[in-house]
Amino acid sequence: MKYDVVIIGSGLGGLACGRILSEAGERVLVLESGTQAGGCLQSYKRKGFAFDTGFHYVGGLDEGQSLHAVFRLLGLLSLPWKRLDTEFDRVTIGERTFAFAQGFDAFTRRLTEDFPEESDALRRYARLLQQMSVQQWDALNPYNSEPFASSPLFDQNAYQYLTETFRNPLLIQVLSGTSLKTELRRESLPLFSFLHGNSSFVESSWRLAGDSSLLVQALTDGIRANGGEVVCRAHVTELVERGGKLAYAVCSNGERYEADLFISDIHPAQTCDLLKDELLLKKSYRNRMHRLANTFGMFTVSLLLKPGTVEYFNWNHYVYPKHADVWALPSEEGTVGGLLVSCRVPETGGRYARQIDLLTPMSWEQCERWIHTQVGKRGADYEAMKQQLADACITLAEEVVPGLRGQVEACYTSTPLTYRDYTLTPDGSAYGVRKDCNVPLATWLSPRTPVPNLFLTGQNLMLHGVHGVTMTALFTCAEILGKEKMWNMIQATI
Amino acid sequence: MTREEIIEKVNNLLSEEFEVDLGELTPDANIKETLALDSLSLVDLVALVQQNYKIKIPVADLPSIQTFNDLYNYIESHLPA
Repeated sequence: MKYDVVIIGSGLGGLACGRILSEAGERVLVLESGTQAGGCLQSYKRKGFAFDTGFHYVGGLDEGQSLHAVFRLLGLLSLPWKRLDTEFDRVTIGERTFAFAQGFDAFTRRLTEDFPEESDALRRYARLLQQMSVQQWDALNPYNSEPFASSPLFDQNAYQYLTETFRNPLLIQVLSGTSLKTELRRESLPLFSFLHGNSSFVESSWRLAGDSSLLVQALTDGIRANGGEVVCRAHVTELVERGGKLAYAVCSNGERYEADLFISDIHPAQTCDLLKDELLLKKSYRNRMHRLANTFGMFTVSLLLKPGTVEYFNWNHYVYPKHADVWALPSEEGTVGGLLVSCRVPETGGRYARQIDLLTPMSWEQCERWIHTQVGKRGADYEAMKQQLADACITLAEEVVPGLRGQVEACYTSTPLTYRDYTLTPDGSAYGVRKDCNVPLATWLSPRTPVPNLFLTGQNLMLHGVHGVTMTALFTCAEILGKEKMWNMIQATI
Repeated sequence: MTREEIIEKVNNLLSEEFEVDLGELTPDANIKETLALDSLSLVDLVALVQQNYKIKIPVADLPSIQTFNDLYNYIESHLPA
């Protein structure tokens, strides 16, 4: 059997491409090496509760906003989304707490209450955020002649922009304080990445009432309804060339899958390694992909709480110790410099939360002693390290959830090593390839490759997070279907 | 680094990475044609120069680099002191 498109990897990027291309009439096969589909959207069950790994909230789902049309196209708009409170993100630094409000005007007004002397700068910043939701379409619009990577925001440094725009260093910390969902790195983070990582959440912010497998299920159901297939335990080990292009994928069990086109939703360096033939990819491309640095990983503490003890809060709380430097995470080994505290929507709709996740950045170096170990067999010192770090996370979380430690029924932790072993992401990176404003051309990757029928998608290319990966999937599909067809499919949903 | 050293190092690097014979890399030869560069692999070249010489080539400067000689000149004049 020959397919039109074989997709390697079933993360959000792979599934979104599968959904769109199958909708466009292509015969699609998605190959996933793991036992369950979803990549960073995987969840796992403990004591009957499903715990998320990489997904916590999403922005821009209201009509006319960044993700509305695309989510409708992907069949995700009808999932049980719960809008977060108007003050959807709260940032606590030491003893002070600040709030991000939904809506660009409300966002400006709310922060101006705390920083009245910065009201003009805040207004300018909010306008820039707002422009982002329009600009993200420029690259897809077939009637727009400006190339995507021409935006000056790609080679502008985010930290430099903030220091030049705002005078109060505390405000810079606060505005950056919700960006644990990006790798804040002074010397390299492009302004585009920073703004894109914030803008849609200010439009509107949503949590799923349920775990992220709902997204995976909706996408795979959609692919199957369109005649496509999603196959797990299908570990692609080689992409084989015939006559100057790829002919078929070979899996570890010897199965071969022929296709006209191939999309890789795995890391570009790993993709290059699948092409054993030297003819199709020159060293220059392979080496560049292998040299790309990856962003940091995450340490996650997933807590199951005793029933009826901790009230559900319908916002995200970012917590930092006094005098924290948000731009200097991950902090030193064994310490927690900042934390996202996120509640799961109560399944029964009740007042109390049963699940809370605590997330803090963790570098690959902090895991290096155990890189040769496997899940469940990493040793007592690894368990002790996780226990110590989980304790430190809970201590910091108690700043905003007093008495949290006493309410914990069970505690599960994961590190970048866990990510590496379940999602096969190099370095257990949370957000993929690091974008660098000093070398935008080299770090913003094209969905096209030197191989005429091999395309890339996923968080490593341009943008990360649910919003970023969804947009990137549209770029990948636009390369395959043509911009005009992709554009028309989106327009048709509005 | 002398100009001769730059030329030798650049040629060795490009010959290895872009898999072309050293003999083809003459000063007046066109880079794009010799290395068979398209818009994608042009990025490989820019990234290679950045990585090895810590020199950032802005997109706006690319049209001025046509021949290998242009590239040597660019690297020589932009090398960090």
